[in-house]
Amino acid sequence: MSAELIDHVQQYLGKNFPIKLISQGAEALVFETSKHPFDPTLDKEYIIKYRPFKKYRHEQIDRVITKKRTVGECRCLVKLSNMEGINVPQFIASDPHNGFIWQSKIGQTLKDGTFSNLRNFLWLNNNDKNAYTEEVKQVLLNVGKQIGILHTNQYVHGDLTSSNIVLQQEDCNGKWVPFLIDFGLSGYSTLVEDKGVDLYVLERAILSTHSLYAEKYNEWLLEGYKQAYQDQEDLTQVLKRFEEVRLRGRKRSMLG
Amino acid sequence: MLQPELQKVLPKNGKDYYICLGLEGSANKLGFGVIKQSLSDPLDTEVISNIRDTYNAPPGEGFMPRDTARHHKNWSCRILKQVIEECKEKLGQGFDIKKDIDCIAFTKGPGMGAPLHSVCVFARTLSLLHNIPLIPVNHCIGHIEMGRCITKGLNPVVLYVSGGNTQVIAYSNNRYRIFGETLDIAVGNCLDRFARILKISNSPSPGYNIEQLARKGKHLIELPYTVKGMDLSMSGILQYLEQLTKSFLSNGSKFSKQKKRKLLEYLNDTEMIDSVEITVEDLCFSFQEHLFAMLIEITERAMAHVGSDEVLIVGGVGCNLRLQEMMETMCKDRNGKMFATDDRFCIDNGVMIAQAGVLQYRYGYVLENLKDTRVTQTFRTDEVFVNWRE
Repeated sequence: MSAELIDHVQQYLGKNFPIKLISQGAEALVFETSKHPFDPTLDKEYIIKYRPFKKYRHEQIDRVITKKRTVGECRCLVKLSNMEGINVPQFIASDPHNGFIWQSKIGQTLKDGTFSNLRNFLWLNNNDKNAYTEEVKQVLLNVGKQIGILHTNQYVHGDLTSSNIVLQQEDCNGKWVPFLIDFGLSGYSTLVEDKGVDLYVLERAILSTHSLYAEKYNEWLLEGYKQAYQDQEDLTQVLKRFEEVRLRGRKRSMLG
Repeated sequence: MLQPELQKVLPKNGKDYYICLGLEGSANKLGFGVIKQSLSDPLDTEVISNIRDTYNAPPGEGFMPRDTARHHKNWSCRILKQVIEECKEKLGQGFDIKKDIDCIAFTKGPGMGAPLHSVCVFARTLSLLHNIPLIPVNHCIGHIEMGRCITKGLNPVVLYVSGGNTQVIAYSNNRYRIFGETLDIAVGNCLDRFARILKISNSPSPGYNIEQLARKGKHLIELPYTVKGMDLSMSGILQYLEQLTKSFLSNGSKFSKQKKRKLLEYLNDTEMIDSVEITVEDLCFSFQEHLFAMLIEITERAMAHVGSDEVLIVGGVGCNLRLQEMMETMCKDRNGKMFATDDRFCIDNGVMIAQAGVLQYRYGYVLENLKDTRVTQTFRTDEVFVNWRE
């Protein structure tokens, strides 16, 4: 039960620590808080991400995975925040044995009251009138570019879906800036294979979640992705592998 | 639920129900089934007959396409006779194939070519002989529709786990869309191949025997765990375990002291580790725990992604009680609900093919040319246009 889990988190943080559950993903509970974990002078909006113990898994398997993913995510957040051009939340603190991570808050509420991740943004525009507007195009180009920069820096995300990309509107011009989140399955990799799989996972996620307009969406994402590459040789290799991975899927009908 | 405008074909002789014969033989199971589906509600289905015969290869071997096809050819007529007997018992002695059956459904794919083909030839013969419409059915859709029929029309995330398939499926916009799947081998195949190394019996099924052994397992060995987003990969864990098991067997069914200390390192207690023996049961136990944890994880991811609270497990591996138990625990934590079926409907059977076939038939599928009944080994779940759902 999620009530039980929230109690557990409250106990861990101390009774009067203000927290508010904002989402329950597959792997983690995400809380919002107004307090800094240890420095009261830095109090502002933060996110606490908690990976609870999964009762269905054997204790030992769970312990290893929770620690590995929490540590991996922290490491990635720190490395990526020092990189030019990538938008990720700022890392604040963590407790990998218990599965806690603090990070800065990003995202806002969309017109229809939902959280501003890419999935909700695309669903909001999920009609013939709005699906192909310049606004949507720019957002997807920028998302593709973010992934491109990530890959040119030899990092792979590992779990690219439209709900793992959060949009934030810039105050000055109202432009949506994409942030990548959820680096639990990410890591450093120079392999073309991993990048190809990354792109394939994203393509499939878009196809299954936003099937009506997926073709155009994927085209824009890829266009943005290409813009991020300076070295065309690398780009060609990744795209070639991406094609191969796509053909590799099971029970794919072979035409021609 | 019901779309009258799509109700294109009515039952024969003015009945208020359809009768369909389903023929399934995509792998080592040959299953024939007859169902009675109500005209008013496509999910109101009564099973009239459900007979299956399994070809079991000897221990240490898998089933070969050639032998399996021969088995299917040998048994087709005998099983059909049994089915007709059961129909006569339940529907009255006047039951006649030509007069009463509305359509014949058979598996078009995916599956092994030779067995598929032998059943297909049988289906064509019956259809031409008695002049009954023939409906080619996608095997995976059969599993899903049967599960949906049992859960009565909810919209669950479907975990389809069997010898040849591992997919997480959800319905949207007239297709069953694949959200996550295996990138290499299927979970049933993985279990079968492990059973082959240990020479575990193939009867009633290798997976069932592994399950029984795993219940007695106590010590967990850490194995690779590979989840990639909503997809997973199982060849790594299989290969690692294969090597481990081979060294285990060649060492007289036990591990050397050093190896054991390394495998159980996480216990942090050398004395205790030295006092225990790792057994075949422990290997099976560790294998199942890791494999199923991966499956549940990707299912949970898909549930969170599409925002659904219900899960349905289908396919042969779906009868594994440990898998069902783990899924149940996961659903409880998400305030969701889990549905599973028993071995009559989980393991390949003719009834599910009949159920999916009738749906296609009543919503207007017409076979134009006998050429379209050609079987195919590669037939993806999301290729089928599902016009019988909103």
